Amino acid sequence: MIDNISYGLMVLGVVFWFWGTVPLLGHRSVLYKLHSLSVSDTLGSMAIVVGLLLKIPREWPLLLLALISLAIWNTVLGYVLAYCSSQGGGND
Amino acid sequence: MISILDLLLRLTIWFLLTSDLSLPNILIGIAVALLIPRRYTQLSTLKDWLQILWEVVVAIPQAYIEAVEIMVRPHTEEDIVTERVKPRRTPGLIFLDVFVITFTPKTIVLNHHEDGTYEVHRIRRPRRKTKAKAARRPWS
Repeated sequence: MIDNISYGLMVLGVVFWFWGTVPLLGHRSVLYKLHSLSVSDTLGSMAIVVGLLLKIPREWPLLLLALISLAIWNTVLGYVLAYCSSQGGGND
Repeated sequence: MISILDLLLRLTIWFLLTSDLSLPNILIGIAVALLIPRRYTQLSTLKDWLQILWEVVVAIPQAYIEAVEIMVRPHTEEDIVTERVKPRRTPGLIFLDVFVITFTPKTIVLNHHEDGTYEVHRIRRPRRKTKAKAARRPWS
């Protein structure tokens, strides 16, 4: 049962990854791509790590740390990229 | 208040990283948490912190719901809106506000202005044409 939930979460994560990464090749604005990237990178990766957490619960401290880091770094980097892309013709 | 929460955050990361609750490790953790330099800012209330931490917890399921929504129904329109910052926000609270808004896939904070506003970029579903046309004709 736990195994099935764990595999389900990993599959969900991989689906999120592919769904969010494919639009990078399209012709939308950087900000639009960032929205789909936050689905794939943040939520997809978090689903995969939660799947791993169910599979190997004895490693919970490191996996929990990985979850917190993923949530914080991906989100803050998304903000930084959005901020830089909206400044247009500044110091770059 | 911020210093206690700051200390707790550092200790949490330390214990997760070392996964060791022996007495020497606890002492080392407390020493390290106290020794790392910190920035002193104005105090914020415990109520504000508990509220924003609750918002972070709520944002996680909400983010997954929004992710499924934008996968099932394409959100092709995008626009930029301005949101007001709640009054009396310290830098730590503003950071968490920006985090909560950006964490959910439909909204990304672009900028935070000193006058107390956020610029938020969001995606949404295209409006139905009939409604859009009606909105453009104010006399009807």
